[in-house]
Amino acid sequence: MYAARAVSVSVRGKTLLDGVDLRLDPGRVVAVVGPNGAGKSTLLKVMAGERRPDEGRVELDGRPLAECPAAYLATRRAVLPQSIDVVFPFLVSEVVSLGMPPSLTARECNLLVERALDAVELAHLGARIYGTLSGGEKQRTQLARVLAQVWSRECTYLLLDEPTSSLDLAHQLVILRLARAHAASGGGVLMILHDLNLASMAADEIVALKGGSRIASGRPSVVVTDDLIAALYGVRAEVRGVPEGPFLLPQTAQLPD
Amino acid sequence: MSAMKKSRILICFLLAFAWLPSAAAEPRTVSGRDGRTIEIHDTSRIVTIGGAVTEIVFALGHGGDVIAVDQTSTYPAAVKSKPNVGYMRALSAEGVISVAPTLILATEGSGPPDVIDILSGAAIPFVVVPEGYDEQAVLRKIELIAHVLDEEERGKAMTDAITEDFRALQEIRDRIEKKRKAVFVFAVGGGTPTVGGSETSVDGVFALGGIDNAMKAMSGYKPAVGEAVLAAAPDVVVTMIERNHGLDAETMFALPAFTGTPAARARRLVPISSYYLNFGPRTAHAARDLAASVYPELNLPALPARAWTSVEDAGGK
Amino acid sequence: MSSAASLPVARSRSMRRGTTSIAVSGVLLLIAIVASLAIGPVLIAPLDVVGIFGHALAGTRPLDGVAMRDAVVILDIRLPRTVLTVLVGAALAAGGAVLQGVFRNPLADPALVGVSTSAAFAAVLWIVFGYAAVAWLPSLVAGFALPLAAFLGSLISTILLYRIATHEGRTSVAMLLFTGIAIGALAAAGTGLVIFVASDQQLREFTFWTLGSAGGANWQKIAIALPFFLALFAGSLRLSRGLDALALGEAEAFHVGIDTQFLKRASIVLVAAGVGAAVSVSGVIGFIGLVIPHLLRLSAGPMHRPLILGCILLGGALLTASDIVARTIAAPAEVPVGVVTAILGAPYFLYLVHRNRTALGG
Repeated sequence: MYAARAVSVSVRGKTLLDGVDLRLDPGRVVAVVGPNGAGKSTLLKVMAGERRPDEGRVELDGRPLAECPAAYLATRRAVLPQSIDVVFPFLVSEVVSLGMPPSLTARECNLLVERALDAVELAHLGARIYGTLSGGEKQRTQLARVLAQVWSRECTYLLLDEPTSSLDLAHQLVILRLARAHAASGGGVLMILHDLNLASMAADEIVALKGGSRIASGRPSVVVTDDLIAALYGVRAEVRGVPEGPFLLPQTAQLPD
Repeated sequence: MSAMKKSRILICFLLAFAWLPSAAAEPRTVSGRDGRTIEIHDTSRIVTIGGAVTEIVFALGHGGDVIAVDQTSTYPAAVKSKPNVGYMRALSAEGVISVAPTLILATEGSGPPDVIDILSGAAIPFVVVPEGYDEQAVLRKIELIAHVLDEEERGKAMTDAITEDFRALQEIRDRIEKKRKAVFVFAVGGGTPTVGGSETSVDGVFALGGIDNAMKAMSGYKPAVGEAVLAAAPDVVVTMIERNHGLDAETMFALPAFTGTPAARARRLVPISSYYLNFGPRTAHAARDLAASVYPELNLPALPARAWTSVEDAGGK
Repeated sequence: MSSAASLPVARSRSMRRGTTSIAVSGVLLLIAIVASLAIGPVLIAPLDVVGIFGHALAGTRPLDGVAMRDAVVILDIRLPRTVLTVLVGAALAAGGAVLQGVFRNPLADPALVGVSTSAAFAAVLWIVFGYAAVAWLPSLVAGFALPLAAFLGSLISTILLYRIATHEGRTSVAMLLFTGIAIGALAAAGTGLVIFVASDQQLREFTFWTLGSAGGANWQKIAIALPFFLALFAGSLRLSRGLDALALGEAEAFHVGIDTQFLKRASIVLVAAGVGAAVSVSGVIGFIGLVIPHLLRLSAGPMHRPLILGCILLGGALLTASDIVARTIAAPAEVPVGVVTAILGAPYFLYLVHRNRTALGG
């Protein structure tokens, strides 16, 4: 069980999170949506243990997160950050290997790195220097690293902060597929997503945040309504409406197998 | 055997015995650091460290034995062509060994101590010549070096002459009715002059020259607060010409530290050579020359020229 | 697209580059050591050098004459000096690598950011004010206080540097350098002040501290500084995994299970120990901690295990080679070795700055 209970975070008088609950169960994908500044990243950081809430707490496996040492947490949850720049000239394969436990042999490590890069379709870039990659390629490298961590340590939980932001459609779908696969094998996935379409496709539960508060949660079909969108974004939109001109729904896209 | 032949043999024998002591002469000994005794066997290859030491060795006739000097040794001219072992406090052990010396004569304060230990361990006698800033210091240096070089007679002649010089110097000082105040400027760094206070060689030379050290309230060579210099109201500013090229009267008296001082008003800047401060054999002459520059109106008599004062200078470094 | 073909290439490229670089560094170190024992102002034939070592191993030494002098040069001057330059060079390079890892900044050289200067300041303070307090102890024990004082000096300055220059886990180059310059200037001023106040006899020369020198090498100094060096070498190798992870950022390092607080603290302590001891025995020597890690990152890669190993070997090689130049180029006088490393390192630093100009905002 992995849950945040009534967590609040404020910085210099500004409230980032206000009494938010979040529960992440194995076998389920939870998507967190909301406008900019809603507190999504902060919530993920609190769940990850990176940030202590000012009020409330997070529990993992029955223990308060604050009492869990970093090494233990790394065996239970893996975190994909929004973006990572690395100052030194690491190779892509070296970056991917950075999450793995010290007990692995070089051969085991190599195999996992290979598998992870394959999964994100970056196998051909293993020998490149990370700093020379495009934004999307860097993001996928980080995802490969997170996957390698998950596989090598058998983490139950996967926390992804905007994993699709720099990716093209095909790769966005790859990410969603990976997330669902992880859930299907018994893991729990928490994803912050900007795109409501993608959230609707992949999540078992959508949690909507605005201004630091949780304003809605539930199954996508229940949560994604015209009223919610108006409340979240201040925009009038039609769920299920058909616009003039061409439109493409990721829901109808399919990856080649 | 005839009596004549016998006496000849006897005379030869006696003569042989007369020579024997010097041939089998005991090595000279000097006490070294930590009370150890240093034995001097061979003075044919000497490294001299310190301007005074170098001058004394040359004056005692052993200039030809000097194979290397330090960077403060600039006199006599012959030293210009000798290898330079650098700064006396930062000697290189292997560097000194590489010139294959049989003796090192070094002014007190040479080092670092580890290097001295290594040189002693390499059986190279390292004789420390004590430093001091008065007449006695000069005489002691000569006596010690003369003893080491086995030139006691020449040494005595030198010390006698120099003692005379110092006495003449005393008489010269007696002619000075009212002492003038001088400040010695070692260097100027960013507008602040580094000056010589008490317990320095320049203080000693001033005393010998019948000059008051305007900065005697402080000790050592230190940067002086401008106001302190002003308050001391020096009549004369003394500086070393070799060190401070371009530090002419113009520049010196433009410094705020000197504005309005008697020295500035009269634009009295007295240049000196570095040997004035090394407390070597030319000290008395240096002090006299300094006094003559500071009290030009007194027409102070010159000291008699000596063998070691007339050799050409090697020129400033 | 065959992934199987490219990955092993990638991985083995990474491993291969590490191993080759370390091997090359090791060879260079050996060459430097041999050269340092054989070259110097005193000309000694190579066969004689070997002979002297042979005798020394058998426990004998020539007692007089040229042979004795040569033995002194080899065994009492060049040998301890070489050991010292190897250790100090290794410590400065490894210390630089770790410092750069902690600050995530390739320009963090201990001398550049005031760490070395602070060590010198502390050492000078100790010599002038504290020495008398332990003078009654046997000299080997009392001698420990000096690198200890230097260690404290580096430690305080590195902590200060970290506190001021790092904000929310990120250190900008500008903050790092400016803070480092400020700390260095403060320490230099302090050193100047202490020297001003002290009598000459208490201090080794100011230039020793500011420009560095391996001239005073002896076995006692080496023995005293050795534990500090070994702590840095062993400790930093153990921290290499953590430093690798730290390259992703503090948050990420935490996410993959690294105790970042401990990592940073331990790294800072180790760097302070190694650099402090190095400064206490040979003064401030710059650029080794900058140039060597940078060269090795390009050849061995930035993974810290091979990097630090390479730094230990190549840092020792470079400083030893610099020292050979320092003691022969102006013989019989000696140039401070820090001058030689500066002549080699400063242009390289300028080149680094030029190459990174966009990252530095130029």
